[in-house]
Amino acid sequence: MKTLTIVSGKGGVGKSSIAASLAVMISKQKRIVAVDCDVDASNFPLLFGVSQLDKKERVSTNYKAFVNNKAKNCKNIVDICAFSAISWNEKNELPEINHFLCEGCGACKLLCKEGITLKKVKNAVVGQSETKYGFPIVSGQLEMGESGSGNVVEFVKSRARKLAEKTGAELIIVDSSAGIGCPVIASVRESDFVIGVTEPTPSGLSDLKRVFEVVDHFGIPHGIIINKHDINPDFTRKIEQFAKESSIPILGKLPYDKDFVRAVVSLKPVVEINPKYHKTFQDLSKTVLNK
Amino acid sequence: MKIAITGGKGGTGKSTVATAIASELAKTKKILLLDMDVDCPNDDLILGIKQKKSADVENMIPKFDFDKCIKCGKCSSVCREHAIVFVPGKNPILIPEQCTGCGACKIACPAGAISKSKQKIGEIFKGKKGNITLVSGRMKAGVEESSLIVNAVKRHVKCMEKDFDHVLIDTAAGTHCPVIAALMGTEIGIAVTEPTPLGAHDMDLILELMKELGISSKIVLNRSDIADNKIIHNIAKKRNIPLIAEIPYSKEIAKNYSNGKSIEHPAINKIINEVSL
Repeated sequence: MKTLTIVSGKGGVGKSSIAASLAVMISKQKRIVAVDCDVDASNFPLLFGVSQLDKKERVSTNYKAFVNNKAKNCKNIVDICAFSAISWNEKNELPEINHFLCEGCGACKLLCKEGITLKKVKNAVVGQSETKYGFPIVSGQLEMGESGSGNVVEFVKSRARKLAEKTGAELIIVDSSAGIGCPVIASVRESDFVIGVTEPTPSGLSDLKRVFEVVDHFGIPHGIIINKHDINPDFTRKIEQFAKESSIPILGKLPYDKDFVRAVVSLKPVVEINPKYHKTFQDLSKTVLNK
Repeated sequence: MKIAITGGKGGTGKSTVATAIASELAKTKKILLLDMDVDCPNDDLILGIKQKKSADVENMIPKFDFDKCIKCGKCSSVCREHAIVFVPGKNPILIPEQCTGCGACKIACPAGAISKSKQKIGEIFKGKKGNITLVSGRMKAGVEESSLIVNAVKRHVKCMEKDFDHVLIDTAAGTHCPVIAALMGTEIGIAVTEPTPLGAHDMDLILELMKELGISSKIVLNRSDIADNKIIHNIAKKRNIPLIAEIPYSKEIAKNYSNGKSIEHPAINKIINEVSL
């Protein structure tokens, strides 16, 4: 079982759209499981027309600290919280914890054993669904304001691996979130190949370089897809030059085309909207599978 | 006033709108723009501002004194990030990338064998162009906790905020910790979105988050004509959140952006009026 992960650094460059069409084309040759690892804005299932997940479970990957009346003498915990989540409430003469900021590290409890309780919080919902295209998708959504997106990504991936084992899938295709922080690191970790999607803009290239630093950290082979390459041919050449200098293969280039917007709006991968993209994505899958 | 520009979904035009508002306001006012997309900061590219490093962002990591260490393993057992590996009878080993600097190990150590040391997790850059001062956080690649950098930027600018008429905060995509950290303490949050099911889905999440944080929300619909914009109007109506401006798709804007330029558009003035800046 192999894992292919799609990243971009910058958001909105077409990561999920491309991942969706790739998944559909690859699934014609291989049994796959699609995975949505953008757990704080999980919309990959929508691109397959899946708006409701089945077999949902609420998961707890994180703790939060709670104060009780025995914390009267624990003013000292205000200053030790590395996440500035604790303040002192003069009126109640008790510490107060801002749960938006609390990371559940437990440092405060070590100083205030009786007055602080650490409780596991349900911080995400994870589920799966069958798509119309003959393969399942696993997705997770972080509860509002909860932290621990990296842990939730790990959970989503392990559920996808179990499903892949059960269904005999050979490939897991992971759509990661934007950025380079914890959810992206967790998405990239243990991948066999990473695709970086970018667009010919200064931000697109700058962010691609940033996310590849993370990918390099794990020593995972990777390639580039340039989306909307025709909106700025000069800058596309700059990206190609960067690829050449860094010995990163360009896997393919896609044009700016309203069909991509139409596809998103009709909740279908673009290969289902315009057959001309069959060949494009077939070639792309071939290139990717050879890696 | 302190205003955040956010949106949930990536690539909807947060930075484009944030830099455009900053540029327009800067014609008459002093503006502090904070690029809190510390994973991938780009406002300097759009505004063409050459920034200089202003500070390193460091966090605490434990330093072990192995002469004092009694090899009890308590430091490892209290670490929820699994950043300390302990094998009985051996010295503990730290995995710095996993460490968030919470300090639980130092508190737990009964032998006083742990002291505070520091590791660099990011940098703060500062630059100026006319009336705009741009401060950006930049996380070191491989570090997990983006919110630590966001909070460091906030601390860094705390003393200088009063020298400006307005503070604009450009957040990262998504709704997780770095976005929450950036939003906290702002009065108004502008959600920039696009009329697609993905834009709508993620905007609904960010509006819910701002509601919980007690921030007054406004919606700006970017590329408003690329698809039926009813999907966004419906959410605005349902949540009773004003949709204050629509920016139609324009090749001109896309071209300027792809060349690293900020944009001018009547909708930007409309946003400024609606937020009464």
